[in-house]
Amino acid sequence: MKGSCSALSELLEKYFDQEVTDEEKSFVNTHLVDCHACRDSLRSMEKMRDLVKAPVEEAVGEEDFQWVWQMIERGIRKEERPVFWETLQRWLQIPLTSKRRVWIPAVAMAVILFLTLPLFFKKNPSYQSADVVEYVQSDTNNVMVYESENSKVTVIWLFEEPATETPSS
Amino acid sequence: MRKILFPFLLCVLCFVWTSTVFAEVQVRLRVIGASNDKKGIDPSLKDIYKEIGFLFNFTSYRLWRDENLTLSPNQPVSIATRRRLIEITLVGLRKDIAELKIKVVREEKELLNTQVRLSPGKTVLIGGGPRQREGIIIYALYASFKPSNLPTPNNFAPSFR
Repeated sequence: MKGSCSALSELLEKYFDQEVTDEEKSFVNTHLVDCHACRDSLRSMEKMRDLVKAPVEEAVGEEDFQWVWQMIERGIRKEERPVFWETLQRWLQIPLTSKRRVWIPAVAMAVILFLTLPLFFKKNPSYQSADVVEYVQSDTNNVMVYESENSKVTVIWLFEEPATETPSS
Repeated sequence: MRKILFPFLLCVLCFVWTSTVFAEVQVRLRVIGASNDKKGIDPSLKDIYKEIGFLFNFTSYRLWRDENLTLSPNQPVSIATRRRLIEITLVGLRKDIAELKIKVVREEKELLNTQVRLSPGKTVLIGGGPRQREGIIIYALYASFKPSNLPTPNNFAPSFR
């Protein structure tokens, strides 16, 4: 019996792992009925499994596999992201009128440009020929504004109170 | 789309911001005391004497203050001389023309409130009013523009009003 037990030990492990064929299974079952040693070793395998299973399941329960999966998925997505040239080609292949994601941004851009461009490219009125003085106010004195012929000098003169003093122009 | 639109808007905002923040003008302000009590021209006023000597008939011109002011938009700069205060504010900058709001105050009374357009090579003289003990005060204003101060391409700059 001992000889057959040593030949069976490998098969018993497979039997324990449920990897045997139906034929092997019935052979092991028949053997186990008569062999006390093999029954013991099968039982010790089961005990060993139970001893290992509980802490492993506990440890697995504590691990955050959700986060790990998120990282993996992100990595996959990153690898799958098309390069700029491919994206551009894909965009060019889209019929312009059929895709919202093309014309909505295009209209938005156009509106923004329409509203902002006049600000930047507005032609400024030429003030070269305009007056230097835009306005003058004085509640206390009379004021005279004088501009020289070559318009290089502009004088804003407050007349003295009560007498007046004028520039000699 | 967000990736395109956000930088685009950011650029627009930066452009507008730099246009206003870096728009500065250097203004030289000379405060001159003019009178007929004495005779003589301050040597530091020789360059301007051609202009003021032609315009006014005072016998004496003294330089009381010479200030180089850096004007930022809507930031008033005040200079007080002989009981009189002049407050200058840059209210607009277009091409190489600075729009300045000027107030002259004497003993909390506003003598003058004006707005002028100052460009390189031009002089604005503000004078007269109540006579000081030392004579009449004349303010001479000149603007100088550094190329870097001109804020934007196409010589555009916003008005700060």
